[in-house]
Amino acid sequence: MKKLMALTLAALMLLALAACGGKSGSDGSGNSGGSDTFTPSKTVTWTCTSSAGGGSDIFSRKISEIMTNEGLVNGQTIVVSNETDGAGEVGRNKIATMKAGDADYNLLTFNSGDLMPMVQNTKNRAANFRILAIMAVDKQLLFSCPASDSKTDYAKAGGDQTDFAAAIEAAKNGTFVVIGGSKGDDITTYNKLLAEVGLTDAQMSYITYDSTSDAITAALGGNVDFVISKPAAASQYVESGDLNPVLALSTERYSGNLADAPTLSEIGDYENVEVPVWRGVAAPASMSDAAVAFWSDALGKVSGTDAWHKEYLETNQLLDQYMDTAAATTYVTDYEADYMAENGIS
Amino acid sequence: MENFASLLAGFQVALAPENIGVCLLGAVLGLVVGAMPGIGSLAGCALLLPLTYKFNPTTAIIMLGALYYANMYGGSFSAILLNIPGDSPAITTALDGYPMARKGRPGQALMTANLASFIGGTIGILILTLTASGLATIGLMFGYAEMTIILLIAMTSISWLIGENPIKGIVITMLGILVASIGMDTLSGAPRYEFGNMYLLGGIPFTPFIIGCVGFAQVIKLINEREADEEKRASDDSKQKLSIKESMPTGHDLRRMLPPTLRSGFVGTFVGVLPGSGATTGSMVGYAMQKKFKSEEPMGTGAIEGIAASEAANNAAAAGAFAPLLALGIPGSGTGAVLLGGLMMWGLNPGPLLFDTNPDFCWGLISSMYVANIFTLLVAILVIPFLIKILSVPVKYMIPIITCVCIVGAYSTSNSMYGVIVMFVSGIVGYLLDKNGFPTAPMLLAFVLAPMLEENMRKAFIASRGSLNIFADSPLKLVLLAVFLVLILTPTVKAVRKKLGAKNKTPV
Repeated sequence: MKKLMALTLAALMLLALAACGGKSGSDGSGNSGGSDTFTPSKTVTWTCTSSAGGGSDIFSRKISEIMTNEGLVNGQTIVVSNETDGAGEVGRNKIATMKAGDADYNLLTFNSGDLMPMVQNTKNRAANFRILAIMAVDKQLLFSCPASDSKTDYAKAGGDQTDFAAAIEAAKNGTFVVIGGSKGDDITTYNKLLAEVGLTDAQMSYITYDSTSDAITAALGGNVDFVISKPAAASQYVESGDLNPVLALSTERYSGNLADAPTLSEIGDYENVEVPVWRGVAAPASMSDAAVAFWSDALGKVSGTDAWHKEYLETNQLLDQYMDTAAATTYVTDYEADYMAENGIS
Repeated sequence: MENFASLLAGFQVALAPENIGVCLLGAVLGLVVGAMPGIGSLAGCALLLPLTYKFNPTTAIIMLGALYYANMYGGSFSAILLNIPGDSPAITTALDGYPMARKGRPGQALMTANLASFIGGTIGILILTLTASGLATIGLMFGYAEMTIILLIAMTSISWLIGENPIKGIVITMLGILVASIGMDTLSGAPRYEFGNMYLLGGIPFTPFIIGCVGFAQVIKLINEREADEEKRASDDSKQKLSIKESMPTGHDLRRMLPPTLRSGFVGTFVGVLPGSGATTGSMVGYAMQKKFKSEEPMGTGAIEGIAASEAANNAAAAGAFAPLLALGIPGSGTGAVLLGGLMMWGLNPGPLLFDTNPDFCWGLISSMYVANIFTLLVAILVIPFLIKILSVPVKYMIPIITCVCIVGAYSTSNSMYGVIVMFVSGIVGYLLDKNGFPTAPMLLAFVLAPMLEENMRKAFIASRGSLNIFADSPLKLVLLAVFLVLILTPTVKAVRKKLGAKNKTPV
């Protein structure tokens, strides 16, 4: 009998919780409607679908800090909320399906790295959001660590890890080459690179790491021949001489200590491969036009501040590329269409 | 010697009044956070990180470092007293700690955990001081194949928890592996077993799962035992008043705990340095290794050696995990990754140049670990008498209290009700399994280790194009393989020699 009681109790609690969970999507009531201008009059929630301390988190917190410091949000506070359930899909879906009213007070960090798994694994598309702005764009390079232990086939065969053209040749002649990199953007870049140089993944394989820093670790340990990274994550290692820039995945060479890396068209008869990695801000589809205009404008003001340039773009070696809501929407929609076509998603 | 000169300079930084202050604060918070099931060092550091943005970076990392560190102490408290591991490294501590507390020696169990943590941690910090950047380079020698074998070694610890019925043990281990494989495949990003559910896409979150299986299952069990407990309480109400003095381990206890502590201290540091492993793997390897040495009582029935081996290893691993972070800018664990994010927020560039460009920061942090270690030990010893009072709280009050703690812990993992639902479901499942003679510990260990094993093994196979040679083509791998084979073959050989006679019962 007692056992039965215990179980019933537990089951009841579960039901109660499930019920609460279902309701928790909406909080408070919004008041702005179809008026022409929008000024925030309560706390703003900024959803970041990555965990605290990561790149997206720093991006979200930096912008909200500048917005507050510069007095762009009418003295209201912005609360960054990290929602990582379902690898971020739950947080994104919550924003996508948010009701009008609340929608004006909810922002979402939305990057190319968020869009790809979302399109792959869920039914949400960029059209289910309002794209408010693109704030920065990043590109990638291929690096190597020639001083590491030779653990790969290519290194053991005496392959030159500083010369990507040699690696392409070797791969064509049957020596196995391994590239490492992070999820999302890096995989897309790898696929484009592979298609351009005419190799298969059995000749030049890719190992996915949780983060770029994990992938760099693998390169330093000699577990991969080349590693795909953005300039910022690799810059310290290049300075210390641990990593060597091998190939600029861009239409032109980089400057500074990355200037030695040639582009793909320089090392052979190939087209340059460039996959822009963008960082943007989105909002619920039901956000009012007035609010969209307000936030897009506020984000534009942020991108014009010194703090943004010095403390964010320069520190992370990103390209300043602000796009307002109209330009960003077109850009993201095109990007999504390209991505879906390449991966056969309908 | 140069390292010690730098260390002394580091002490000047660490002993500045504000740094001592934040170190103490970090230590106390770490103990609290560690003792609360679910809110481990990862959540603790992540929650505090935004608060430290305005600090000077050295002060900030000292506080977070102390928190991370003290957390390893705190995790053992609830593991020993309530059988709810405060964080994942404490799973193995609960295996012996809880039975020992049930045997009427909770004070000694806590004291053993504290002392072992202190000694293991000190070994870890000393090694970190002496080798600093060198240690991280050793970590880099370990590729996927080596990590695969190390994880297989860690997995052998499961076999000791399986209990009387090997078939049930194997079934439950497989269940753990199956549950762990829900969510996105780490290598290809393809969804697995998510049944179209958006939440399942992210997998079953570890902390709520563990709190449910162990903590909430315990609550349901307590509900059943409530009346028996009240009768027992009525008959003897004199016990359970312990002072610090009475919880001191005897000289004999100390002699028992010292060898495993030292061994685990060294092994733990080393495991902590390896990329992506951290304190959880550390304590499991330490515990698995102790199984191979003599323990006075059988492991799993309240052996001091078990508590010491697991606690010393996890603190040592926590210290070791700082080596790759400081020397190479590589996080050794999830918490390491949060700290790395912190470093960038504070305007430092973590990477191979950190020791050269910010020596006061690096050495300030290392010396603060000595300070934090001592502070935490003192605080931890002083709270023992209060902690033990928990045991004398009647079950009818404990039930709602533990339930609340479970809910809060599960909620805080991702700030959503999903965690709480996972916690309740796994609690009910865990209770039913336990009731039917399926031990839950193997499931939890399999759940932690299987994804790491899968990832490393698959990466090894990608790199070798499917050839098994990759697991045996260097002396290091051969040594590791030999250790693994000795571990799995000894019991078989022993069993054959004993002609399957002995019925050695190891309840879990």
